[in-house]
Amino acid sequence: MKIKAKKVTLILLLFFLFLYPGTPLFQPLQGEGFLARAGIKEGIEVRGEKKSEVSDISGLLRRLGEKISAFKSLKTDFIQEKELAIFKNKIILKGRIYLQKPDRLAWHVDKPVKYSVVITDKSIRQWDEDTNQVQEIVLAKNPVLKNMLNQLTVWFSGNYSPLLEDNNVQVLQKSPLIIEFTPKETNIAKKVIKNITITFREDEKYLKQIRIRENSMDVTTIIFLNTELNAPVNSSSFEVKGGV
Amino acid sequence: MFDKRFGLIHDFLRNKKKPVLWIVVLLTAAAGIGLPFYQFEGNIDLMLPNDRDIHRSINFLRDSKLSDKVIISLVLTSPDKTRKDLFNAADQLAASLPPSLFSKVITGISALNVMDALSVINYAPQMLGEKDLSFIDSRINAAGISEKLQGIYRQSLKPESIFMTSMSRTDPLGIRLLLLDKLRALPASMGYDVSIEDGHFVSRDGRHALLIIQTPVAMTDSPGCKKIVTALQEQTGRLPEYISADVIGGHLHTFSNEKVIKRDILVASTLVSVAFLLLFIAVFRDMRVILVFIAPLAAVILSIGLSYIILGKISYLVIGFGTAIAGISTDYGLHVYIAARKGAGASQRVSLAKLLFVDAATTIFGFSALYFSHIQGYHQLASFSILCTIFSLALALFILPLLLSIKKDKVLNPPEEKKLESLYLHKRLIVGSWALLTLAALFFSFNIKFDSEVTRLDGSEPEVLRAEKNFHDTWGGKSSQAIFVVTDKNHEAALETNDRIFQEATQAIGAENFSSIAAFWSSEKTRKKNIENWNRFWKGERETKLKRLIREESFKYQFSEQAFSPFFDNLYNGTTGNNNSDEFLSRLKERFVQEKQDGYQILSFFPDKKEHVDAMAALSAHYPGTFLVSGKAMSRAISDFTAKEFKFLVPVALAFNIGITFWFFKNLKETTIALVPLITGMTWLMGLMSLLNLPLNVVSILAAIVTSGVIVDYGIGMTYECQYDLKIGTVIAVSLSAVTTIIGAGVLLFAKHPALFSTAAAMVICLLAGYLSSITVVPALCSIFLKPRIQEQAA
Repeated sequence: MKIKAKKVTLILLLFFLFLYPGTPLFQPLQGEGFLARAGIKEGIEVRGEKKSEVSDISGLLRRLGEKISAFKSLKTDFIQEKELAIFKNKIILKGRIYLQKPDRLAWHVDKPVKYSVVITDKSIRQWDEDTNQVQEIVLAKNPVLKNMLNQLTVWFSGNYSPLLEDNNVQVLQKSPLIIEFTPKETNIAKKVIKNITITFREDEKYLKQIRIRENSMDVTTIIFLNTELNAPVNSSSFEVKGGV
Repeated sequence: MFDKRFGLIHDFLRNKKKPVLWIVVLLTAAAGIGLPFYQFEGNIDLMLPNDRDIHRSINFLRDSKLSDKVIISLVLTSPDKTRKDLFNAADQLAASLPPSLFSKVITGISALNVMDALSVINYAPQMLGEKDLSFIDSRINAAGISEKLQGIYRQSLKPESIFMTSMSRTDPLGIRLLLLDKLRALPASMGYDVSIEDGHFVSRDGRHALLIIQTPVAMTDSPGCKKIVTALQEQTGRLPEYISADVIGGHLHTFSNEKVIKRDILVASTLVSVAFLLLFIAVFRDMRVILVFIAPLAAVILSIGLSYIILGKISYLVIGFGTAIAGISTDYGLHVYIAARKGAGASQRVSLAKLLFVDAATTIFGFSALYFSHIQGYHQLASFSILCTIFSLALALFILPLLLSIKKDKVLNPPEEKKLESLYLHKRLIVGSWALLTLAALFFSFNIKFDSEVTRLDGSEPEVLRAEKNFHDTWGGKSSQAIFVVTDKNHEAALETNDRIFQEATQAIGAENFSSIAAFWSSEKTRKKNIENWNRFWKGERETKLKRLIREESFKYQFSEQAFSPFFDNLYNGTTGNNNSDEFLSRLKERFVQEKQDGYQILSFFPDKKEHVDAMAALSAHYPGTFLVSGKAMSRAISDFTAKEFKFLVPVALAFNIGITFWFFKNLKETTIALVPLITGMTWLMGLMSLLNLPLNVVSILAAIVTSGVIVDYGIGMTYECQYDLKIGTVIAVSLSAVTTIIGAGVLLFAKHPALFSTAAAMVICLLAGYLSSITVVPALCSIFLKPRIQEQAA
């Protein structure tokens, strides 16, 4: 909870600073700088030079979105491999993901430690076996976390059309389909993420794998197994303790 | 002497009638043509005391960059639209604002950038003091390190770890939290309730977005404010139909106040003109009476022109008073006109001139009392009003008779005169009733309240105030802040004083209440000391000890050997003290440090509560070059100051009136009776204001002082008439004078601007009480206590 309070403090602090005079930490929304940051100028150039390519990708993402977003609920097992400089060895997490549209996501880790988090549009509830405590964070009071989780939820949803605005998109392979998203300069994720590669299932109805490469060269891969679309999902799956 | 000189001037002007009239017409026309070109000031500051502390506070607020912000709160009004639509609208609006008027537009910040900016390595060595190092030391042991590493490991299992793990590598001990603690008081003291999403400021309900706009236009720059408001209205008007905007900022108050005052003056002038014309034409049934109305109007126009030449910019408030003064100035012309209609002879004309000179003298001396005030606006008002009175008197006595050639007739119908005469039969009843009512008013007057809150004289339109209410309801930030200012020619010296103030202030009012740059960025001297302490702290055994402990505990969680190398490799990077130019730091410093022509000002903020202000004022007394800016303290100072002024100016004005009245009558009894309207007006004013729960304020007191010079004239006129039986129509002249003046002031009761309304309320009460007592009580008292001089002379 202390960390939460600190994050809130940080955000309020920055707001406080911006109500007062002087140059902002981040450039003002003015002139060419603002347009560039807002992606307007870049967008115009992209539209001018690579019009057909962009419209192809846009059409592809829209088609994929229509295919994938047909499901209302999802349950899948996952294996998450983390190759992080902070750890000696690759960390492998095994667990389950439950997704109920429009706004519920449960992430249960079974190995190596039991950990569980349920994310809704308003809050996250999490639990781990070490502390055996349920912690609830109101997302409205934790914009940093909310932003991060929002991004994560988008990747699971399969609806990637809106991501075109903030990312450069490239098709790496057509069958099975592999798409790479590289954050644009204007995208705040650029600070951390180098690129994200999505591998689709053969039937393109859901994802097979997500690979996230960080600027620090850390790599996280999530492989989806036994995915069931529109399968009945128990409400207990969205309980942090009951889900484990 | 008077009789001879008056006669000479009168004859000279009559002989040179045409050239004299042409000169008057040309001068008035020239002054009238100049009206659109004169510069006026809508600033209420002119009406504030010229006290050193108040002046300094006002100047500080005006010159500081604290007030150069305009804020727009955008509201998503359609439930079908999303936050994305809201953010798009915010970005488009930001891009559409012209840079010449809006130098910076900020719609939000990137949360990740913030985390990145607050680099532990860069800031910790300079920001952390001995206490903080002791705390870190207490964590460098097996248990503490194990707990920290476990936390980092657990964090890495969570979905958000992608963004957080690299941060942990540079801060295994959680030193960032200590830095954040130091910054905690800043948002806490503001009380704003804001979230950030997609790099935008957003309200908790997710339906509002915020734009913070900096402008080079000063709040006191009326034409500039008009341009800003017009540009904002134009651009917010182009927002999609599902977005509405609340705009707040001092510039809107300046623009709105000026608009309201201008509209009030226009409405008042129109109403008063129509009322005067209808009244005069209905009573006198003679179109030439328009001249009586035109004379003071010409006097006001001439006075504005001459005041502008002498004084420069004139306040709109002073011109607002001009409407009331026009009513007062009509009196002289009215007396002359009625005397002419009554067929006054040469001796009566001289007597009337004497009476009008005395009336003008009381008015002029009443205004002259304002020169003793320490409020600059009062001086301007005195000069303007005295000029207006002199011009009106001159036009009435010397120019108006040149235009009037009237045969003797009755101005009032005989039955009406008889009604007035029958009233005087009940003289003891009248005096008794008056005494009772006045005693009652005196009783209530002891409960009169004084409202020193100058912001209540702000006449901004309801939509400006509604936008502010909407803003505070959505975003919070209602609590006002006081500012502690440290000044010094030298930046470093100012920061060193500020460091000492910070230490004492946190003791006096608590660290959570005192938001100071010293909390996170102290003087170079202190920061150098912190760096020395940091180096000594780590270069001893601690760095080795920490590495050993991390190594020993790491195996449990499989941390690599290089897991925290970003922390150890850069442990001394921040000890060079050369991050003064960091954007993050610059941003923080600009909030607290102001560079002025004569040096630097270091600002600290604390809640504007009496107990805190008193404690900080006591602290300021020990530090020369420091001062406080507190809205509430300023309000108290204005209250104290105005009470002092009131105690001084009112007796001065009364003394002038009493002195002139006595000089005129040279008789104690007659003087006392002549002063009855004045006493009645003042007593009833305070009694009725108290009874109606209307507090006195700076402008109503001013209005009372001005009116005292008018109602004393009624008393003098009526006593003079009763004693000498002049038959120059004093009763009707006084009645019409009072009616015109009450109309002049009364129309301001419809004013939307609170300053003008206060003026009107005070003047109308004072005038009504003064007038009623002059036509009823004064003749009754004359009849009871005095023997008419005409009888004495006959005897």
